Amino acid sequence: MREPERDVREREREAGRGAGRDGRGPGRDGRGARRVAGWLADAALVGYFVFALFPIAWMLVLSLKPADQLFSTYFSFTPTLGSYRTVLGGGEGIPFLRFFVNSLVVSVGAVALSLLVGLPAAYASARWRFKGSENLMFTLLSFRFAPELTVIIPLFVLYQRLGLFDTYVGMIWVLQLVTLPLVVWIMRSYFADLTPELEQAALLDGYSRTQAFFRVALPLVKPGVAAVSLLAFIFAWNNFVFPLILTSNEAQTVTVGALSFLGGDRPKYNLTAAAALVSVVPPLLLALTIQRYLVRGLSFGAVKS
Amino acid sequence: MGPRPALRPYLLVLPALLLTCGILYPFGLGLFYTLFDFSASRPRPGLVGFGNYRTMLGEGAFWNSAWVTVLYAVGAAAAETVLGVSVALLLHRSSRIGRVLEKILILPLMIAPVIAAIMWKLMLQPSVGVVNHLLRPVGLGGVQWTDTPAGALLSSIAVDVWVYTPFVAILALAGLRSLPASPFEAAAVDGAGWWYTFRRLTLPMLWPYVLVAVIFRFMDSLKVFDIIYALTEGGPGDSTMVLQIRAYLEAIRFQRYSFGISYTIVLWAVVYLAAMVLVRHLGRVQRKAAEAR
Amino acid sequence: MIRLRGITKAYGRTTALDGLELDVEDGEFFCLLGPSGAGKTTTLKTVAGLELPDAGTVELDGRDLAGVEPYDRGVAMCFESYALYPHRSVHDNLASPLRSPRHRLPAAEARARIMETAALLGIEALLDRPVGQLSNGQRQRVALGRVLVRPARAFLLDEPLSHLDAKLRQQMRAELKAIGAVRRTTTLYVTHDSVEALALGDRIGVIRDGRIVQTGTREEIWYRPHDTEVARAFGRPRINLLPGTLTENGAFRSAGGGIELPVRAEAPPGTEVLAGIRPRDLSLTAPGHELTGTVYVTEVLGRSVEVTVRLGGGAGPGARPPGGGAGPETGAGPETGAPRVSLVAPRADTRGLGPDDPVRLTLRPENLLLFEADRPRRPGRRIGTR
Repeated sequence: MREPERDVREREREAGRGAGRDGRGPGRDGRGARRVAGWLADAALVGYFVFALFPIAWMLVLSLKPADQLFSTYFSFTPTLGSYRTVLGGGEGIPFLRFFVNSLVVSVGAVALSLLVGLPAAYASARWRFKGSENLMFTLLSFRFAPELTVIIPLFVLYQRLGLFDTYVGMIWVLQLVTLPLVVWIMRSYFADLTPELEQAALLDGYSRTQAFFRVALPLVKPGVAAVSLLAFIFAWNNFVFPLILTSNEAQTVTVGALSFLGGDRPKYNLTAAAALVSVVPPLLLALTIQRYLVRGLSFGAVKS
Repeated sequence: MGPRPALRPYLLVLPALLLTCGILYPFGLGLFYTLFDFSASRPRPGLVGFGNYRTMLGEGAFWNSAWVTVLYAVGAAAAETVLGVSVALLLHRSSRIGRVLEKILILPLMIAPVIAAIMWKLMLQPSVGVVNHLLRPVGLGGVQWTDTPAGALLSSIAVDVWVYTPFVAILALAGLRSLPASPFEAAAVDGAGWWYTFRRLTLPMLWPYVLVAVIFRFMDSLKVFDIIYALTEGGPGDSTMVLQIRAYLEAIRFQRYSFGISYTIVLWAVVYLAAMVLVRHLGRVQRKAAEAR
Repeated sequence: MIRLRGITKAYGRTTALDGLELDVEDGEFFCLLGPSGAGKTTTLKTVAGLELPDAGTVELDGRDLAGVEPYDRGVAMCFESYALYPHRSVHDNLASPLRSPRHRLPAAEARARIMETAALLGIEALLDRPVGQLSNGQRQRVALGRVLVRPARAFLLDEPLSHLDAKLRQQMRAELKAIGAVRRTTTLYVTHDSVEALALGDRIGVIRDGRIVQTGTREEIWYRPHDTEVARAFGRPRINLLPGTLTENGAFRSAGGGIELPVRAEAPPGTEVLAGIRPRDLSLTAPGHELTGTVYVTEVLGRSVEVTVRLGGGAGPGARPPGGGAGPETGAGPETGAPRVSLVAPRADTRGLGPDDPVRLTLRPENLLLFEADRPRRPGRRIGTR
């Protein structure tokens, strides 16, 4: 089923592409003009990507600079991995490696909990129309757009009383605000795309409902689960405001940790750059693996592609 | 025999429901707190009714923050829409360069906004930042990027644009690729020009997709926090003091919890209203687009 | 044996099944015929336990199935969408029932059954293929295979042939009835194709708006249709329905007064009625009761020709100027002007016939049917015969 579908899409895409090109008034102003227009378009595109990629490249440059050449030069310097060694070795009294591990634990934990809780909910709301289902779904969606501080400030007070302040559990709990709506909404759209007759066929084959879910429904949405897990992981990893307010040291994450190199009497630009780069490596690598599913994920299933 | 069929969906959503209640609880608690003057200096808070809101709405600082927030959200969402759709249109041509660049389009979007802001902060540093170094040859070496009120707001918006333009571009590109080919073929046969095709065909058909992106971006930038926190912390003066930053400062820095939460409640109400209006509009647009096909 | 009593099922405000009653005898091949949206699939899924009725009872082999889960009902179903597991091979799709907790067979036995079923359906060569690579016809066979691979109390087949092209459909129709398991097992077969129903069904049930309108053998359905809609559903070209009235002496008089035929009807004189005449009971040559008209259109169907005739024109009684509009006395539908009838004639009889040529038709009255006139949203019931 999958393969031919993709073929169709490829073909449509080709057709659309052709149409886009043909739409630019063929023949009227000749081939030369069209070629110049093509160059200009490419130049504009390259312009945007220079803007988009330069900061990342510049961070690389900064992070490889030795401290004494930080302000004296711009592009010519003796590259060194010293900054990375300092950052990962816990230099400046900042346990960055531990922050990294914290980010990992907290993000994986948050995604795992969201999957555990969100998959059944997504499945139920895609399969059955039941009272309150839409309300639950929209409450979840509203989390996506709620200002985080509305919840965090009371939580800050609450966590200190409950002993959840600066703990993994506290962070994993509050990160559900980010990961749960994502998992539920996207997986719901995947389950809704799946005809219920497949599971019905499994029931008539003699399998229980649970078995039908695990043998038929789940394997078929596996790409969706993988994509949504990675995307939720990235969002959890990149979150800043929760760890900023609800952790102080033990459970602090890289996003907050990277800022600490800017503090102190003299800002350590090279260390900040190294910390920043280290902290963006996991999300960037993961993002490249889920490109195909990104559109649906980013739009909460509102746009399919 | 399993549970009664009618109960099945409820059992499946029960965990999610509990978790949702767990998150709604602090929200309700926050709402409750705003009726008191709860703060670090007053561990035994007294009931003040709507006093917090009255104080807040009477302060110039609140209205300034509201204004800055709207400026930021409108500016960022508009710039990202225009730039993102343009990038999508350019990528849709699928030139050789475009196909390569498309693969790395998402990179800025996957970087934590706060990290992006840190990066830009280093680059925009007036004396030793690389941006001013590169501008020096054109005689613009000494721009005080984040140190003037207008500059700080524009710089913050620029960082937002840097991070989120790919978001708009990705959705718009998906939209472009899902457009039916036949109207374009018909237009080409009729000899329609590029501009006409774009205005009369591409844009109207693409609009539902773009609108999804615009809604997400507008609502997200209303509650911006990370970027401004790392870049300017609301300064200089109150020039980038958006509502969430103000709420943070009041509640966490100055430990006036009730007062800080009042800010976020008002912001929440605004976001909620904006969402209702925009989503309803989106529904209309999508229905119209579906009918047009 | 399947017995449905008073099954009612609504989805929100739309009623899918409205007090449906149905009996399928042991080992019988029962065809449920109806247009889309009539409730056919819902009926099947109700038997399977995939849909729970709001009211009414489902019995299988004398056992009330209320509260019995689908996997415990022991029925096998072929879905209209086929519902093959797209992530599995053909073999694994066929093996699925035999590996389930309820129908598990020892591996060797399962293997043998799968091979046997695959051979029966001619899909041995496909066993290792993923389902995604199959053509529609192959998928249909695999879906049928998954039903046949294990013994079941009943087979439920939901338009299994509808997605096939005409040639394949005809071939499968012939094969299906020849399969031993199908012959032995109670089968409820859903279709919207009357030809299929007539060819396959030991008995046929006509379903409309969530109710069974009529059940019977193909002869009963053909010669004693319950109403005009059932009559129209069977036979191509469709049955001709001539408007007219009942006379004092118990005869049918056509609206133009062209013919008068003795009938037996359970209605008072003066009643507006429709006389149903199958195209095969009209002839261009045979002697008998005569109708006159002009040729409207002819269509060659191989050796025979379908001739559509506009009644009332030409030289007979009630003649009107050629090309004239509907006379008020004809009582025909507004769009047609004069009533039209179709017949199928041997090619030799139609040589030289062209549009607007006057013709004389003769009617063989043995199979004449008499219906009440149709009313909006209510087809006329049969009230008599010759």
